[in-house]
Amino acid sequence: MDDKGLSLKDSVWSQIDRKAGAIIELTIRQLRHRLSTWVVLGVGFLIMILLLAFYIDSVRDGFESIDNDGDSVDEDEDGYPLGQEIKYGHSDLDSSQYPGVGKYVPVGEIDYNDNFRNISGNYTWFGQGILDPVWINVNYSGISGPGYGKINWQDEMKSCPDGEAFVDWNLNDYGSTCDYGDGKYVFWGEFQAEGTIEVPIDRALFWGLYAGSFYVEPDPISLYIDEDDINWDDNLLQSSQGFDDDGDCTMENWSEVPEWIYDDEGEYFDNDKNGNGIICDVQWILDEDGNVIAINKDSNVDEDPVDGKFMGESSHRTFIIGVGKMAFVILLGLFLPLFLSLGLIRDETENGTLHYLLSKPIHRGEFIIYRLLGYLTVTGIYIISLSLFMGIIGSFLGPGESIIRLSDLPIWLGIGFATILVLCAYGALFNTLALITPKYGIYFCIFIGVWEFVMGILTIANPNWTISAISINHWALQIIDSIVLIAWPDTLQLQQMSLAFNLETGLDLFWKPPAHTLGTSNPLVSIFVSIVMLFLFTISMLGIGQSIFKNREIM
Amino acid sequence: MKEISSKLPAVMLDHVSKWYGEVIGINDISLAINGGVTGILGPNGAGKSTLFKILMGRLKPSKGTVRLFGIDPWKSTTPYRRIGYVSESERMYDWMTSLDFISTLARLHGMSRDEALERSKHVLNFVGLEDVYHKEIGKYSKGMRQRVKIAHALVHNPDLIILDEPLHGCDPIARTSIMNVIRELGSQGKTVLVSSHILEEIERITEQIVILHNGKLLAIGNLHAIRDLLDQHPHRILINCENPRDLAGLFISSEPIYGVRFPDKGQLEIHTNNLSAAHDVLPSIIIKSEQKITSIENPDDNLDSLIGYLIGGVNNG
Repeated sequence: MDDKGLSLKDSVWSQIDRKAGAIIELTIRQLRHRLSTWVVLGVGFLIMILLLAFYIDSVRDGFESIDNDGDSVDEDEDGYPLGQEIKYGHSDLDSSQYPGVGKYVPVGEIDYNDNFRNISGNYTWFGQGILDPVWINVNYSGISGPGYGKINWQDEMKSCPDGEAFVDWNLNDYGSTCDYGDGKYVFWGEFQAEGTIEVPIDRALFWGLYAGSFYVEPDPISLYIDEDDINWDDNLLQSSQGFDDDGDCTMENWSEVPEWIYDDEGEYFDNDKNGNGIICDVQWILDEDGNVIAINKDSNVDEDPVDGKFMGESSHRTFIIGVGKMAFVILLGLFLPLFLSLGLIRDETENGTLHYLLSKPIHRGEFIIYRLLGYLTVTGIYIISLSLFMGIIGSFLGPGESIIRLSDLPIWLGIGFATILVLCAYGALFNTLALITPKYGIYFCIFIGVWEFVMGILTIANPNWTISAISINHWALQIIDSIVLIAWPDTLQLQQMSLAFNLETGLDLFWKPPAHTLGTSNPLVSIFVSIVMLFLFTISMLGIGQSIFKNREIM
Repeated sequence: MKEISSKLPAVMLDHVSKWYGEVIGINDISLAINGGVTGILGPNGAGKSTLFKILMGRLKPSKGTVRLFGIDPWKSTTPYRRIGYVSESERMYDWMTSLDFISTLARLHGMSRDEALERSKHVLNFVGLEDVYHKEIGKYSKGMRQRVKIAHALVHNPDLIILDEPLHGCDPIARTSIMNVIRELGSQGKTVLVSSHILEEIERITEQIVILHNGKLLAIGNLHAIRDLLDQHPHRILINCENPRDLAGLFISSEPIYGVRFPDKGQLEIHTNNLSAAHDVLPSIIIKSEQKITSIENPDDNLDSLIGYLIGGVNNG
């Protein structure tokens, strides 16, 4: 019995399932008969096809090996890759510096104003003077730097002019010599010889030891790609992980240990950069829950991972998360309700067909709910089909041993679920706005759409910014972040790895650990909080909508 | 409990007024209707639609009380379990078939799908659309659409049926068929409210009428009683014939006729103070004249004249 003395059978609140069924069915059929419905659903599908094409074209290509530390380049085009040049202590910017090239070590010099002017020995010499040789290396190949002044002893030797050398006459060219008589030679240049040299006043001479050049086989470039994979033994109890596979941190067996070089991150090389006292290792730092929160590595350790393995997986996840957030929640989440929910009641009023529905024993609030359920049925089936479609195609395309990546499907379903919650909240909001102001509702909705878009981007950038929580899609994006963490628990590690090893996967761009875990850092808490927030919002919008509609006169 | 509500009048209005800002829609109407067909008569803008919209809970009365089976329709949609409403709006879901349209709306009364289909076929039969109910409404003629609307209002076998201008814009055949349907409903003992601005239409359906004018209740009661009053007032009868002057000669000598006029070629207008007496003598005079009569019209026998008379009467009173 209700307050009017009528039994439940006589009141409005009976056979609700049948009434709901009829209005939901009517709404679905109405939406099906509208061109705009098919246009917006078709555009959504087209976007997904384009994204898949982009995935095949760009992300799959990204699985090819990339030289992450950049040591396979040969900037100076001397045939030796940078990694090999570094091992030999050479620059890759100077083609005269390459592995096996001769090496000069300075020993002494006579300046233009030194008192002593004579020197004997077996050296490589540079400068001006008069040589009384014991032995001359006529095959001397010269060294880099001052090498352009190398004296060629093999050409025919000219006699010096008459008079005293460097007093009556001078040599004109650097790298020249002449026969001074008595087995002596006047020279200006570079050569290797044993003997005594007299350096005239106002002239200078430098001498040193020179290791002769030898041939070094250039390494193939492929040797410097994927040469130092991320070594992680899955044992997080041991915080020190990693192994310097390519030896460019330990520098064992190098012909020469360079005094300083830049490391793979462009900083000064430091074989204990993480400061844990263990050289050439990678330190994994965990929080109380066992999540990897940071990875600190020493210079040049694990810096060039096997891309097919790491980048492939990370890029694939980035693609799914990016599509889920941007295309599903932010774009479809906004445009579907904008096109399909705004007119749920407003259009009936404008078309003059509302009275057919309202002259029935139905409460107006009930009517709003059934209309929204009809809209949600259409959009919900669409979103779930679309996410399954993306999930199935994506799992065939994605990296992995098996043909289908089953682990993707929960994520796609989670994305679908989050999108449906957003559709629910926006649907209730837009419908209510159209009820409050049928004429200007669309403008409010567009304003809200812009706001939501900006807040969505802010949430993706940083979910912890308070302002972004004043939006609907913030909470749906949180659900995706949380489901990712549940279905792929190692995403946090992958993200930290991409940060630590400078791998541009975009994973850290699109995914952050969920906020709103109420301090527990448990993703389930975040999901629960987000669902409650979206649900409360939807309910309150329905409440406002029905109280306005209930008191509205329909002309 | 149901017995109590069934004893309550189907429609009860107590000093109901509705203003649209400064404009008055209906003004202080009190009315109770239960059983039979009642014609709501009034020229355009008299307040018929406003009255129906108030009954259908679409408008909230500014003043007064409205009860349908004892329940306020603005506060509760419960009475609509027993009410069928045919709106004046022409719009329907044109993409649906009439069977679809009616059965979908029938389910809003809590019928199951099968029940709704069966009832819909029944009412479509009743309004004579059994051959076309698988066609889309968009392809229907005006009269057929009107009958679909009526069928939709009957699908749940209501006790009260409200029809807002159901004959508006229909061709004569559709008009006749709709009128038959309405009379049939009345004879089934249902309460039927049907509005029109054409006296003749209502006359062919019912004798029980309510006349609205400028939002006010002008008259309520039996149409014949009202007309009898009207008959005692000057009336014109317009006759189209071959030779009006010959015919006029015959009329002028007759008792209830006090004047004649020739408004146009081939037209005779006779003036009387007693319309029924004039109609009594009319056949014998026409036979006597041996003329071919093409039409006989009563230009004063319409709603405007009736209202004009009633207002005059009110003013005189």
